[in-house]
Formats: sequence, structure tokens, C-alpha cells
Amino acid sequence: MKRHIKIVNDKKYFFRFTVNQRIQHVILASLVMILVLTGMPLKFHDTFWAPYLYNLVGGITIAPIIHRMAGTVLLCLFVYHVIYMVTVIYKGQIVPLKNKKGLSLVKLVKLLINQPLIPNLKDAKDILSLIKYLFFMTGEHPEGARFTWKEKFDYWAPFWGIAIIGMTGLIMWNEEAASMFLTGEIINYALIAHSDEALLAALFLFIWHWYNVHYSLSVFPMGTVFITGYLSEELMVEEHYEYYVEMMTKEGYKDQILPPLGYDKGESETTKELF
Amino acid sequence: MTQNPVHKTFFLLRAHSKINYQFCKLISLAGKAWNQRHIEICRVFTTQSGRMNRLAKCKVIFEWALSLLVLCFVLSSPKIAVAADIGNCLLCHKYPGLSRIEGDKGIFRLLYVNEKTFNSSMHAKVKCEGCHTDIKKIPHDPAKKVDCLTQCHIIEPSSEQKFSHKDVAQFLENSVHGKLDETKQLKKFPEDRPTCKKCHDNPLYRPVSLNKTMMPGISDQSIGRCRVCHKKDEFIYRFYNHVTTRLRRSRNPKNITEVCIRCHDDINLVKRHGMSIKAVATYKESFHGKAAEFLDERIPDCLDCHVNRGESVHQMLSAKNTLSSTHENNKYKTCSNIECHPKATPRLAQFKVHAEFSKTQDPKRYYFESAFIILTGGTLLPLLGIMLLDSIRRLFPTLSRRRKK
Repeated sequence: MKRHIKIVNDKKYFFRFTVNQRIQHVILASLVMILVLTGMPLKFHDTFWAPYLYNLVGGITIAPIIHRMAGTVLLCLFVYHVIYMVTVIYKGQIVPLKNKKGLSLVKLVKLLINQPLIPNLKDAKDILSLIKYLFFMTGEHPEGARFTWKEKFDYWAPFWGIAIIGMTGLIMWNEEAASMFLTGEIINYALIAHSDEALLAALFLFIWHWYNVHYSLSVFPMGTVFITGYLSEELMVEEHYEYYVEMMTKEGYKDQILPPLGYDKGESETTKELF
Repeated sequence: MTQNPVHKTFFLLRAHSKINYQFCKLISLAGKAWNQRHIEICRVFTTQSGRMNRLAKCKVIFEWALSLLVLCFVLSSPKIAVAADIGNCLLCHKYPGLSRIEGDKGIFRLLYVNEKTFNSSMHAKVKCEGCHTDIKKIPHDPAKKVDCLTQCHIIEPSSEQKFSHKDVAQFLENSVHGKLDETKQLKKFPEDRPTCKKCHDNPLYRPVSLNKTMMPGISDQSIGRCRVCHKKDEFIYRFYNHVTTRLRRSRNPKNITEVCIRCHDDINLVKRHGMSIKAVATYKESFHGKAAEFLDERIPDCLDCHVNRGESVHQMLSAKNTLSSTHENNKYKTCSNIECHPKATPRLAQFKVHAEFSKTQDPKRYYFESAFIILTGGTLLPLLGIMLLDSIRRLFPTLSRRRKK
């Protein structure tokens, strides 16, 4: 069994992402940035900065080629990722289940719904309690599971984004081939979907995602989990308390569990006795 | 042309470019002499130890500076003029400030002619009097506006007749932009219909360059091939420019849109003529228009789609005309021409080049785009709100109305 807690210099670090996942993420991140840089000047072609930025990334002769190449690689990554996820779930969970108890449709659906990245009822509850917490109505920070609703959002938004943007991009790229199955008007709609969805994705990633992983007060100036794959104990307590307690208990550090966020030091002594 | 004494004096001055040329030649000769002297000075003032004394150094520096100055002067001196300025109009019109306020409305008119620019324009070989036919003496009375249909002094080589733009005007008259309809009746708002000068100025030569190392139109490699048969350099340059400019449009796609935008994006004019959309604004939102905006020349501009291939661009027809390239039945042929989308099926022609974001124009498109705007706003605004509250909340982690038990 792989241990999830690594101790370096008396500090605990919690395992989050495998090397494969981290490499996938870095490729995704750099491709998205390239795509945004080579695509956005076209959407905002009438602004003063668009020609400067566009010429910086290659101008009208080079930038479209870069954009298409990056898009192609991203679509390959998308396909690889889907295959990767299916294999991981199949080999890691479905096969053992089959060997142990036998497989039925109900069990399979149940297993898929319980995947850590699938949004569930707890996420809705967490959002509500987060809003309460943000308005100072309670001192309790929602106790996040292995993946919080923010992370699920960060996962599924690009997932749907790549599917939509990739498909419409392919249509616009191969307009002659597309005209065999689709009417020309669909290309009009493809352009709207491609550029509007891309703007949403870019703003979502560069504002919301970067705020959560780099700019917020507890991780500023930069979160390192996307490089190291391990998350520090403070951040674990803050965002994934439920999972933190689970892991600490499982790996035999039950007596060292820290109190959740929102306790001051006076209270923390008493709460320790609760566990 | 009458020549008064003042005029004569100026005529001498006008020849300054020739004088200048001789002067420069002299100076460059002097420069060579100086260089010789520089070596001499070095020899005389060099001491036996092989070092120059201070005086010699100063002299050498001074002479170098002087020869540098001369070099600058030589390089910046103007070339010999080649304009067909027989009437000597540039005598006055060469002054950049030459202008006046005209009429009751007080319109400011610049009367300056930039000789260098004019010489690289397509009309460089036409005499001023060729177009300004009403000017017979100097100083002249206020000149009339130029009529492009005037027979000018150029002999058209294929027909050996005096040249005129009359044929072009005939094309224009039969096009959608003409003032008369099929029954020879005046169309509504004839004053809105464009005339020659509404779209054209005096265009500059814009010869092709076939590769990076070849400067447009003045490749010595190519000019050398002309010299095999033709003797006069001035003729070679002009003819070479004439031909190579005509191998492509004299304006790039963005320039073309700037011509059409003057009328076709004028809301009042668009309404007056019952046109449904701002043509250029909608084009700019399409793939072609965006590329044009970034100065791509490989993409179609207004004229490429709205004129049948191989015809004069002045023969533009209404989309309702069955012969028009933009008629519903001909669109596919226009899109699928060999240089554009040759493998496309007729379905591609249903693409809307001039699609406008408007509820009345195209409700389906309007709602589709609105849905995306709502999706974007609906996703980002709550998240931004949470972000803002989160950054405030983190400053006061223990402050809340109810503490945990």
C-alpha cells in the first residue's frame, strides 16, 4: 500500500498527484496559454493591443499555424486523458470488484458515481456552508473531501471546454470537409461557440483557478503542488479537512491531528480531546 | 505658357536639383583629396618613436569629422527629378505649406504636391495640364475639379488612341453603383452613388516582391534583364513598376474595406437605401475580415466576392441580379473557386459572411450568442464574488458571529 503522508524536516506532506498527472497538467497549462495568446487577439481584433500581441506571437502568417498545432496536441492530450482515466478506474477499481464480488450494473453505476471527482451532494452542502463562512455567519470552514467543489469545477470546466472548443475548432479548420456533413451556418455558430467558450475558459482559469492555487492569502505567491505533487499540512487542513483526518487516521498519526480552520488557540486544546 | 521675369528666376531655382547633383560630385571629389591629405598629415606629424603628437591627432580627428559631414551631405542630397512637370507647376506647389481657406464654409485645402510621392504614383507620367485642363497661365485662377473622363496625353499602346477612363465609367454606370436603373430612370438618392474620386485617389505603385530578398519593384536583378533591350533607365523603372503593380491589387484588403466603409457603414445611408446590415462591420467579425485587419493579403476582401472573377471591379452587381456573384444561386461558385474553397460542397455557401448580432436579423443566432454571454456571466460573476469575499474573510479568520462550540 502506497503511503500518502511523507515527512520531511518534521513537516507532513500529503500525496495529491502522480507524476503522470502532473506532466499532463503542465502540458495542458502551457498549451492553454499558447492557445489564448494566439487566439484572443483575433477575438479582440479591434482593440489597440491586439496587433502588438498578435505580431509578438507570429502575426497572421505564423500565429494560426501555432494555434492549430497547439490545438491538435491538446486534443491528443484530451483523448489520452480519457483513456488514462478509463484505464485507471477499470484496472484499479472495476477489476478488483469483479474478482471479489462479481459485477452488476447497479454496482458499476454506484462505483462510477462515487468517483472522487464526480460532483455530489456534499459539494452543494459545502458551497452553502462556505457562503455562510464568507459572510462571517459561522466560524466553521467547510471540511473538504479529497477533491473540493472548487477542484471539481476546475476539472470539469476545462473538460467540457476542450470538448466544445476542440470540436468547433476542427470544424472551422476543415471548413471544406465540414461542408460535407454540415451546413455553412453551423460554421457561424461554431465561431461563436469557439470564441465565447474560449473567453470563458481563459477568464475562469486565469482569474478563478490562479486565485485559488497561487494568489489567495494562504498560498501566495505560488502553490507548489502542481510541481511536487504533495500538499503541505496547513493547506490540507484548510481545504481538505475531512480527507486529512481520514488519511491521518489511516496512516497512524491519529494523535497528531490538527484542529480545523477557524479555531483560535484557546479553543484548540479542548477540541483535541474530541478526537 | 506665359513666362514673366519672376517666373524665369524661379525656373532657374527649379533646376536646383541638377546644380545639387554637380555640387555633390564636386564635394565627393574633394572628399577623396582630403583622404589623401590625411595620410600625408599622418606621415609628417608622426614622431620618430612612431607616435603622433597631439596637434596631429587633433588635425586627423578634425579632418575625419569633416569628411563624415561631407558624406552625410552627399547621401542626403536629392536625386534628379523625373516628374513630367513641363509646365513647372512644382515651382509653387512644392512648398509643403501651400494652402488656403476656400469658399464661404471656410474649407481648408492643402495645395502642396509632394514630388517624390507623385513620382512613384501611377499618374507620374501624366502632365499636370493633362488633368487640370482649365489651367492655361501662371499664376492661375482657382482650378476646377478634375474630370477623370478627360482624354489625357497618354497614348494607350494597344489601341494607339489617347487614353481616357470612359470605359471604366461605363462599367460603373451599369453596375449596382450606377445612377440610372435598367429603364434609364434616375435611381433614388442619386447623390449617394459613388463617382470615380469617391473611391480612388492617385494610387502609388505597389509592385510585387516575389521573395524576401527582392525589394518590391526595384530589384536590380530584374531591372538588369530589362536593360538587355531597353536603353532609358527612366522608362525601365516606370514600365517595370506599371506591370508589377498590376499583378496584384494596388490596395491591400484592409484598404479596400476602408473604401467601402465610408458608405456601407454609414447608418443613415444604409437605412436610406434599404440595406439590412453594416457591411464592413459584419465582414470584420468574420474570418476573412479578421485576417484583413491583421494585414493578411491572401484572404478575400469585398471585391473578391462581390465581383465575378475576371471582370472589372467596377462591374459590381446587386445580389438580386441573377448574374451577380453574390446571388443565391451563384454564391457556391464564388466560394468554391480554385483559389478559395475548391473542395467545398454547396452547403458551405450557406455560411453567413455578413452575420449581425441582432434580434430582428437572425433570432436563432441572437439567442445562441446570448446563451453564451449568460453562461459566461453566470459562471464568472458568482465566482468573482466568492473570490472577493474569500480574500476579505482570510484577513479575519477567527471573526464570526457564532464560534464553534
